[in-house]
Amino acid sequence: MKQLLLILSFFMLSQSATVQAAAGYAITLESAQNNLRDQDSLKRGAILFSNYCMACHSLKYMRYNRIARNLGWDEDAIVAEMAYGQSTVVENVTTRMLPGVAMDVFGTEPPDLSLMSRLKGPDYIYSFLRGYEQDETGAWDNHLLKGTVMPNVLEGIQRHENEEEYAQAARDITNFLEYVGEPSKMERLDLGWKVIAFLLVLLLLAYLLKREYWKDIKH
Amino acid sequence: MSEQSKQQSSLLAWFDKRYPLISTWNKHVGEYYAPKNFNFWYFFGALALLVFVNQIVTGIWLTMSYKPSAAEAFNSIEYIMRDVNWGWLIRYMHSTGASAFFLVVYLHMMRGLLYGSYKEPRELVWILGMMLFLVLMAEAFMGYLLPWGQMSYWGAQVIISLFGAIPVIGPDLALWVRGDFVISDVTLNRFFALHVIALPLVLVILIFMHIVALHQVGSNNPDGVEIKKYKNDKGLPIDGIPFHPYYSVKDSMGAVFFMTLFALVIFYAPEGGGYFMEAPNFEPANPLKTPDHIAPVWYFTPFYAILRAIPDKFLGVVAMGGAIAVLFAMPWLDRCKVKSIRYRGLSFKILLTILVVSFVVLGWLGTQPATPELTKLAQIFTALYFMFFLVLPFTSVNEKTKPVPERVT
Amino acid sequence: MSTEEQNDMSVNLQRRKILTGATGVVGAAGATFLAVPFVSSWQPSEKAKAAGAPVNADISQIQPGQMLTIAWRGKPVWVVRRTPRMLNGLAALDGQLRDPASQESKQPEYCQNPDRAIKGEYFVVVGICTHLGCAPLFRPAIGSPDVGADWQGGFFCPCHGSRFDLAGRVFQSVPAPTNLVIPPHHFLTEHLIRIGEGPADKGVA
Repeated sequence: MKQLLLILSFFMLSQSATVQAAAGYAITLESAQNNLRDQDSLKRGAILFSNYCMACHSLKYMRYNRIARNLGWDEDAIVAEMAYGQSTVVENVTTRMLPGVAMDVFGTEPPDLSLMSRLKGPDYIYSFLRGYEQDETGAWDNHLLKGTVMPNVLEGIQRHENEEEYAQAARDITNFLEYVGEPSKMERLDLGWKVIAFLLVLLLLAYLLKREYWKDIKH
Repeated sequence: MSEQSKQQSSLLAWFDKRYPLISTWNKHVGEYYAPKNFNFWYFFGALALLVFVNQIVTGIWLTMSYKPSAAEAFNSIEYIMRDVNWGWLIRYMHSTGASAFFLVVYLHMMRGLLYGSYKEPRELVWILGMMLFLVLMAEAFMGYLLPWGQMSYWGAQVIISLFGAIPVIGPDLALWVRGDFVISDVTLNRFFALHVIALPLVLVILIFMHIVALHQVGSNNPDGVEIKKYKNDKGLPIDGIPFHPYYSVKDSMGAVFFMTLFALVIFYAPEGGGYFMEAPNFEPANPLKTPDHIAPVWYFTPFYAILRAIPDKFLGVVAMGGAIAVLFAMPWLDRCKVKSIRYRGLSFKILLTILVVSFVVLGWLGTQPATPELTKLAQIFTALYFMFFLVLPFTSVNEKTKPVPERVT
Repeated sequence: MSTEEQNDMSVNLQRRKILTGATGVVGAAGATFLAVPFVSSWQPSEKAKAAGAPVNADISQIQPGQMLTIAWRGKPVWVVRRTPRMLNGLAALDGQLRDPASQESKQPEYCQNPDRAIKGEYFVVVGICTHLGCAPLFRPAIGSPDVGADWQGGFFCPCHGSRFDLAGRVFQSVPAPTNLVIPPHHFLTEHLIRIGEGPADKGVA
């Protein structure tokens, strides 16, 4: 019993997002505060992703028809709006960049982002998008990934929109990427309480049955 | 008797004439007399069996879609998570099941230590159980390579290089295990074969033997008294009750409770805060890039902490192996005649508490980076862990035990 | 024992039966729920469905009397541009066919007509013999040497000699039991046929 409680308390401690994401970095991350149930945010995030990220990054494990189904988006519309008609709805989300170009231009391959949210956490993505700083020479660097060759993709939004809209854009992209990391998450949460409710009913019956039989046993 | 039950019992009779169905049922279930005073600690054997069945069934289903090659493994898991109907659920049942298996097994072993279940005449039950533990660790280790993530790759790299630390034969042994000069597609494929069929078969055989050995001598109980000592005029132990219906019903209740907790994790925290599914594993294996912290999954961390505590590579391996090997010797290290902690002397209670606390602290230390301060701490707790086994043979001989009751309480 | 105790005992047994029954029923329901994901996981995955998704065929280049082959779900689908002569000759063959009105064979309701097509000119058919699955040969010419002098044009399966007319309808006295299968399809534009999806449904065929 003691061990059980100890293990449970370790487990609870590490649930805090900042601890998880900051492990090994000793950098505090801004909380993304995104809401996976906000379908509008997810849709905006998908479009933003298409406009600001898809030029270099793919989501190779994600299919357009899955995004369409989960976000309540028409299948023709999503292909038109996310892929500019350059794909069919059953295919995976690929980058527009041709193979080899990234290595020539940047010296590195932009990673696929399907699992970035599970790897680094949504707070990291949110902080990263907003983590660019310019030095005296005007060169951009990111305080979360020093020496990155990735440009400050949201620079335009930061300059032309207000602070809140800039934050919201970063939040929407983060939200979308968290969804992409585990598209079945909402389904899992929605099914979970039903399964547990059922099991609690079964538990009650099993307990009553046990108690009934064990009346036989004198202690 | 109704027509249907007459037909059923004649079918049963036909079968039973040709196969010892009814006699086996009676011997091991219907008329297996177990002590009536089983408590909370006695759930975990049945739960271990339940989790084992879960691992086998979900494992078989995963094997239907998983591709055991370095090029496709990682992709095939995302395929299972996203494209296969309900694949995500089957995957989480399997990954959570692995952690649940060790939690249940550690608690099951704890029961053995609390009530002296390893003592005469149950030494073989304990030995078989320890062998099961070893095989389970190997099974889990090989299973963890299969997703071919960063942690899969580098965790395996570290552990297999430990084999290389063995003098004289080490490097050749590591090469032989890997089947290649580094962990590669070759290693993955053979670990897949071992994980999916070879070790599960060994586990099935050992589980069978473990239960048969137990039934041969009869179960122990929280008071450590032998119920076979007092029998009624029918030759049945008066403090015993037939497993069916009493423990079948009680274990069913325990199983449902366990399944509720299991479901809570699967549906609400499958990553286990990063302890059941480690974050670095969401990135494909990259032989050219080592993750910041390589840590094994939580259930190996106590032994990993012991390994790292010893400054010498080979001696670290010896210490880690020794930490497990020493458990095999429990029946002979513990020389107290009294089985259950309820009636044992203060020295044993203190020693066992130190052992458990050390194990848990070492477990936590194994998840942390090996800073000088934490290494010092790990050394202290490694010493405390071994102290239990070194001191027990001496303290157990002259323990100030309480009088053991004749009958169960 | 006294009657009271006897009554208590039988009430007990009743209670046990009820509880055992209730727990058993709920447990069985649970086991059924648990089986669903495992059984369901055998259904085609998204990847399989994607590979089996509808395909578009550009028919602008097909000459009259010519055939185009498209792959759909790993099967050959033929698009034959039939000439007026070919279409006119179909009715005369009814007497030699097993199922001239396509009552037994598999085709979408919008192809349950004499031409077995949406537009008579373009015939879309799955090129797999309904006998044992070989791919029949396209023999549009009248009196094709390997089929016979009376041959009015159609498809001839070399494996066991089954013959089909230019609407894929099976002749009598051949091994194949039914007419060739017509897949769901519709015209996206005048020159683009989408195979695997009917005109009404935008979903899976």
